Amino acid sequence: MTGNQSSNSRLKDKTYKIALNLFITIISMVMVFPFFWMFTSALKSQDEIRSFPPTIIPETAQWGNFVEAWQAAPFDMYIFNSFFTASAIVALHVITTAFFAYAITQLDFRFKKILFGIVMATYMLPVPVTYVPSYIILSRLGWLDSYQGIIFSNAVSVFAIFLARQSFLQVPTELVDAAKVDGASHWTILWKVFFPLTKPIFITFGLINFVLMYNNYLWPLLIIRSRELYLITIGLRQFFIEQGAYGVNWPLIMAASTIVVVPLLALFFVTQKWFVKGVGGSSGVKG
Amino acid sequence: MADTSNPQKLSIWDRMKNEKITAFFFCLPALIPLVVFWIGPMIFAFYLSMTNWDLMMPVYDMVGLENYRQLFSDPRFYDTLWNTLYFTVGSVVPAVFGGLLLAILLKSKVIAKTVHRTLLFSPWVTPMVAMAIVWSWLFNPGTGLINYILGFFSIPALPWASSSTWAMPVVIIVSVWRTLGWAMVFYLVALDKIPDSIYDAAKIDGATFWKKLRYITLPLVSPTTLFLSVVLTVQALRAFDQIDIITQGGPAGATRTLLYHYYQSAFQRFNAGEAASIGIVILLISGVFALAQFIISKKYVHYQ
Repeated sequence: MTGNQSSNSRLKDKTYKIALNLFITIISMVMVFPFFWMFTSALKSQDEIRSFPPTIIPETAQWGNFVEAWQAAPFDMYIFNSFFTASAIVALHVITTAFFAYAITQLDFRFKKILFGIVMATYMLPVPVTYVPSYIILSRLGWLDSYQGIIFSNAVSVFAIFLARQSFLQVPTELVDAAKVDGASHWTILWKVFFPLTKPIFITFGLINFVLMYNNYLWPLLIIRSRELYLITIGLRQFFIEQGAYGVNWPLIMAASTIVVVPLLALFFVTQKWFVKGVGGSSGVKG
Repeated sequence: MADTSNPQKLSIWDRMKNEKITAFFFCLPALIPLVVFWIGPMIFAFYLSMTNWDLMMPVYDMVGLENYRQLFSDPRFYDTLWNTLYFTVGSVVPAVFGGLLLAILLKSKVIAKTVHRTLLFSPWVTPMVAMAIVWSWLFNPGTGLINYILGFFSIPALPWASSSTWAMPVVIIVSVWRTLGWAMVFYLVALDKIPDSIYDAAKIDGATFWKKLRYITLPLVSPTTLFLSVVLTVQALRAFDQIDIITQGGPAGATRTLLYHYYQSAFQRFNAGEAASIGIVILLISGVFALAQFIISKKYVHYQ
């Protein structure tokens, strides 16, 4: 691939390089184009959005669409609900994962391998299969249409356990032995030795699972009925249906979608190295 | 759960040096939800699939394999089976190969790699519900941008989601858009692990780009290919959001996959038994897929 001394092959090399960069740039642009189109559509008037040929940049930006969308449905409440449940779930993931990964890697007990195998196997499980029975279980617990229902049914993340186990295995045994000599309990070793050392992995799966839970749609759709508990995904779908009733009001719908998508894109752009680490660095991500 | 994680209790057990009890209480916080909401329901699903419960009445009958018999004699079931296969192959294959292609491109002489990686990965973090709405606007048959672009190339406007021929391609395009960059990141990691010395040796031997791809890159990333195809298949079998937003399984059932059929029979027709039996079929299919892919891996996958 490196340039030969002859100018002919250097020219060929240069053309190749330009073509390659052009190609990948076009692909990147196409991939983020829906975000751009969502945003510019949100700034158009009802008339302009129907104009043919479509305008790329709105003639006069209708910032009022965002205000109108924000007032048409309680998006602040929906976003709060999603942030609250997703944060609570991630907090539970940290606890359940840390304890389980510690037991699996540091403690000796019977059936350990089988237990770990069963837990990992559930990762391959097509989760929706459990939705009907889980729905019945939640109704017996009286947890349908409640925060508890959403939060506790998602309290474990097999993906998190997988990641945490891998990094717990890399904690030097000398450190553990030293702590034991000092008379530290397993509780102390876990939270004072393992947790600080493996914090990056907790941040990684915390971010990824937060995004997954914020985007979660089907399961909350099944168990949430009251509007006060709507998550942002359900609220947005409801808004989409309502705005579509009398000729689709695309600018408002695009404004609402932008309100929903932008916080996540912002979170991702700030924290993107953690995502890439978690996704690519392992081979086990829950979609 | 609160009392199992009480520090004082645990330290007492620690003093007793009873690792087994500690292990038990450490596993409990994870195992309780896992058993109640994952493993238990799995077993419960088998039982439900042999009942005719409607999810509301307190009474129901055991009907044995009747739900399965009805399912297999229903021509609609075979349509959903075909749609599931169409969707799965259509969304997994382009994501895997596209992801590999993008990763190879990004590994070569590209400026601003991190920027590209971030942009290409970004669809994966956004809510499918919101972006499916945006895509249905892009694919709008009347004034959508995509038909305009087609018109620019003198291609007649297509009815997209409102036609039974084009609805599935729309749903597939949206799914691939979201997973392409995700698959690429896995391949980037896999490519990083291939030592440069192998390529250097190949270059000395005068190997062409295609030869290097065929004899070095593809074999060495094959574990990632296998992993991605298994995980993406399981994901495709549970795809719901984009179908629900764009087509609701229509038009005329053209995008009704097994999972959408399951959802409709459970939560629109309230037939828990029928739904559970469809669920078991989904479970068996993913099991067979995973097994088949692992058997294939024994033959073709090279673990380093």
